[in-house]
Amino acid sequence: MNTVLPLFRRSLADGWRGLLGWTGGLLVALFLYLPLYPSFGGNGQLQEIVDMMPPELVQSLGYDQIGSGPGYVQATFYGLIGFVLATIAAVGWGTGAIANDEENGQLELTLAHGVTRGQLYAERTAAVLVKLAWLALVSVVVVMVLNEPSELGIEFGDLVATAVAYFGLVALSAAAAIAVGGLTGRRTWSLGAGAGIAVYGYAMNALGNQGEDVRWLHDWSPYSWAYADAPLENGWSELTWLLFAVSAVLLVLGWLVFRRRDVAV
Amino acid sequence: MDTTTDAAVTTRGLVKRYGTNTALHGIDLDIPRGSVFGMIGPNGAGKTTTMRLLLDILRPSAGELRVLGETPRLGGAALRRRIGYLPGELHLATRVKGRELLAHYAEISGPVRPGAVDALADRLGVDLGRPVRSLSKGNKQKIGLIQAFMHEPELLVLDEPTSGLDPLVQQEFHAMLHEAKANGQTVFLSSHVLSEVQQTAHEIAILKQGRIVERSTVAALREDAVRHVRLVVAEADAAAARATLDALPGVSGVAPAGDGPGTVAFSATLDAHVDAFVKAVARLDVVDLTVEEPDLEEMVLAYYGTDLTADADDAEGTTRKGARR
Repeated sequence: MNTVLPLFRRSLADGWRGLLGWTGGLLVALFLYLPLYPSFGGNGQLQEIVDMMPPELVQSLGYDQIGSGPGYVQATFYGLIGFVLATIAAVGWGTGAIANDEENGQLELTLAHGVTRGQLYAERTAAVLVKLAWLALVSVVVVMVLNEPSELGIEFGDLVATAVAYFGLVALSAAAAIAVGGLTGRRTWSLGAGAGIAVYGYAMNALGNQGEDVRWLHDWSPYSWAYADAPLENGWSELTWLLFAVSAVLLVLGWLVFRRRDVAV
Repeated sequence: MDTTTDAAVTTRGLVKRYGTNTALHGIDLDIPRGSVFGMIGPNGAGKTTTMRLLLDILRPSAGELRVLGETPRLGGAALRRRIGYLPGELHLATRVKGRELLAHYAEISGPVRPGAVDALADRLGVDLGRPVRSLSKGNKQKIGLIQAFMHEPELLVLDEPTSGLDPLVQQEFHAMLHEAKANGQTVFLSSHVLSEVQQTAHEIAILKQGRIVERSTVAALREDAVRHVRLVVAEADAAAARATLDALPGVSGVAPAGDGPGTVAFSATLDAHVDAFVKAVARLDVVDLTVEEPDLEEMVLAYYGTDLTADADDAEGTTRKGARR
């Protein structure tokens, strides 16, 4: 009998429908947005529209670079729709890993078996991260496929750097949800932490875009850590590691408490 | 604790607090290996808390706890592989089929003999080919029982195991308990009513508001139980009968009751041994004697007391169970 990573495999097996759904969502978003670029963005038409918009709005949405292929993909997908979709998935999966399972009473039975708390926490976290990495990978493949036909002019290395930042950003929301689940076992808190950190990061970034005197807000925004250096144009950003560092700290914190506390209280 | 090495479960002064609420006020339990032990008590008495402590789902606030010779905290996963656990509130909402779910639990519990799952499923009558979440409450309970029994654990911890089961399946379940005992397995089961444990458990503990208020055997409970008796004697013996009954210790509420011509009937309650009573009345000219079977349930309810509802919040269960869905 195969007993390698039983909880990890169970998580993936239980979640394949959801993963398929989110993959479909990303595909739809990518195939709707990116092919529009040559007819819409590449000829300067989109830039004209953006120029007519209030500059504050353009800054908030990160549309200032939308006239270039990488800027377009960043503004439409990685910075907006792809970010929203993957964040929702990340928060859902992160909440499901511990808190939701605990509140609906199923975690108790699993923990009554021959598994340790730490093992369960680690394997379920790994499953969530693998699923998020899959979504990032899907985006890389689709962008590469559409790169030529849609005249995006994106460098592969820059795309990988962006996808890693994208993964790090949504993984942070998942980590927050998992960690708070480990700390409290409460679904609403777990969900709130995951969604809250995403909204907070986006808001701080949008505010920080408004001018030089508020630019420092970027220092405190995970969204800015991922995207402020425009990795799709400039390649690897040195702030990306902060996303993983904060995620790791949160996960370790949740893990430490989860091993010690009462479950199913 | 040398004397307890042959015990499956030993607790001394086991305390569990949730913040300011105390769910268990120092429980002392000894469950010998190979026995069937029943814990009964009203909702919120602390039954589920006790069981969760054994599985290391909860951690004790104070006191000693040993399960199969180890503390649950240190015994960890290896200890839990030797235990089969059925939670009191079984939630199985997964879309996967029963067989697949049980295969998963088999992976993370002790080794399961080939065919054991199917044999149990046949016995209990549950279709393992259906998605678990589409099963009725009783059938989910059967899945729960299978995962507890399938690896033939040394210790079975079953929290209200018969809830949702129809009477025929309950009988099958009782047979499974007898077999488990015959195999040398230890069974620790709980219920809020005595009738569910009295057929299988020899020893019982009655739990109320986090304290054990009575430890006994079903036989001893029966012996001590209050019985209603009805004695019919010949009219000539009436005075002697009255005097005999009044003089007997443990007999109360003696009252003449109507009967046919030539005889006199007395009804009374008996809360002492039947033996003394029968020997005393044997000297009379007894026309008829009825000793009703004792209602053990009534007796247990007396232990539960009447102040339960008022103090229920003091104990664990009411706030734990069902408070969060």
